[in-house]
Amino acid sequence: MTQILTLEKRTALTGIGFVTPTVLIIALILIYPIIQSIVLSFGQSSIDGFEPYRFVGLDHYSKLMGDSRFWNALGVTFTFTALSIPLELMFGIGLALLMNETFKFKGWARLAVLFPWALPTALNTLIWRWMYNSDYGLFNAVALQSGLVERPINFLGDDVLAMVAMVVVAVWKTSSFMALIILAGLQSIPRDLFEAGRIDGMNRWTEFTQITLPLLKGPILVALIIRSMDALRTFELPFNLTDGGPAAATESLSLYAYKVIFDFLDFNFGAAIVVVQFLVIFTMSLVYVFALRNKD
Amino acid sequence: MKSSPRFGLYFLVLLTVVISFFPIIWLILTSFKNTAGIYAWPIQYWPDPFTFENYISIFNNSPELLRYILNSFIVGVGCTAITLMCGGIAAYALSRLRLRFAGVLMVGILAVSMFPPVSLLPSLFQNFLNFGLLNTYTGLILAHAGLFLPFSVWMLASYFATLPVEIEEAAKMDGMGFVRIFLTIILPLSWPGFVATGLIVFIFSWNEFPLALVLMTQNAMRTAPVGISLYPGEYAFPWETISTATVLAIIPVLIITAIFQKQIVGGLTAGAGK
Repeated sequence: MTQILTLEKRTALTGIGFVTPTVLIIALILIYPIIQSIVLSFGQSSIDGFEPYRFVGLDHYSKLMGDSRFWNALGVTFTFTALSIPLELMFGIGLALLMNETFKFKGWARLAVLFPWALPTALNTLIWRWMYNSDYGLFNAVALQSGLVERPINFLGDDVLAMVAMVVVAVWKTSSFMALIILAGLQSIPRDLFEAGRIDGMNRWTEFTQITLPLLKGPILVALIIRSMDALRTFELPFNLTDGGPAAATESLSLYAYKVIFDFLDFNFGAAIVVVQFLVIFTMSLVYVFALRNKD
Repeated sequence: MKSSPRFGLYFLVLLTVVISFFPIIWLILTSFKNTAGIYAWPIQYWPDPFTFENYISIFNNSPELLRYILNSFIVGVGCTAITLMCGGIAAYALSRLRLRFAGVLMVGILAVSMFPPVSLLPSLFQNFLNFGLLNTYTGLILAHAGLFLPFSVWMLASYFATLPVEIEEAAKMDGMGFVRIFLTIILPLSWPGFVATGLIVFIFSWNEFPLALVLMTQNAMRTAPVGISLYPGEYAFPWETISTATVLAIIPVLIITAIFQKQIVGGLTAGAGK
């Protein structure tokens, strides 16, 4: 009896010892900074500690409510998310269905699809910025030479086109990620379900809507939520493509917060912005955890 | 029935491959053009002359671009090592030791992994400044480890969960300690899981932008994505150098992805499926 008890105790102690390094690093890098950001957002201080921390209550938040640039950034972030996610999902499902077929050189095709995801967003964005260039870019050259347009299009100099350009880069880069998750779901669907459908005389479309899609609900949900959270915090894409321009037409919340903190050096106001952004994303992550709990 | 759907299928596959790949091809082609070729009208689809001068010039004139790549390597390897070690034992404890707090902790780790990196910046910058961690490898390695540990814990835990319970029961009966069980039984059985996790974490770290931008403010300490993005300065944008440096910076990721495609895809889908 004592033997078992000590084993149990030893197990618990070992467990605590094994998780401690991870918990410590996560507490230091993720949890403490969030708490500190919240504290900063309710006060006035200086980065070097020269000016001692002074509690100012909701001052920064009330300033935020009246800050049109903040509302613009929030709008840009939501627009970007709302435009790119459905497109990514559509292409993701299409790609997954395609990759679920058997054909020659499938490994190579899958690799080509994986590359845009694997490369750094910042550098991907530089490549696209060069292709969008109004004077020397690939797209304008093709459009001009084929006679599609008379004058070069200034993709990144127009409010609407710049947003479209940003969405295109995001969709190009991440559809493959959606596809991978959905493909894994597809491959777990038992084959005989489709055979049963065939016997019942289903065509490909009804088979897709009646069998495939309902069974893919789980993976699609996971992919959607992971990607929405990514899109809501998008940073290097506008940073490298447009720097938020023209004017602030593509300035995402992350980019605006970064500028407030590191260009205007207003840490406290910047902290208020990131806290609001954190709340938006945290609400989504709760939905995520809740949805996953329900799934099991 | 046989031939026409097949043709359509191959057409779609080809289209997908072309769309996925043409920006990278265009980048590589640009890196082999000389300056006149880059700004030529009509546009040069194929470099004329086809030249290696941009690559030679990077080695001779812009060694800082190579330094960025080296920095990315150091940070990536350091971060991968820490996440595998700490994440490995944590995942083992959380998935196999039947701890009472395991469920809560796993969900907690999942929840914190969704923090937007920018919301960490004001505080991390200030603390790193105060502790002398700005512009150090240790600092960014630690920061990246914090960002990617949740992923690695979840992925390794889901891998350990596939191993049969009996293997360590016998060892426990023999009075083996948990550290020895982990090192001599679990580790040799689960190295594919470690390889997949490590590769993905390395890619994540290589690609990470906001923290690398803020925590490495000295030019010589910048990682490849940040250094190349900031390289041109305010107005001029030397595309011949940028595109060449970008090719060099993405080669490691291209090679890793090409060789370990199966492991990465398997790891990603397992991690996301949880």
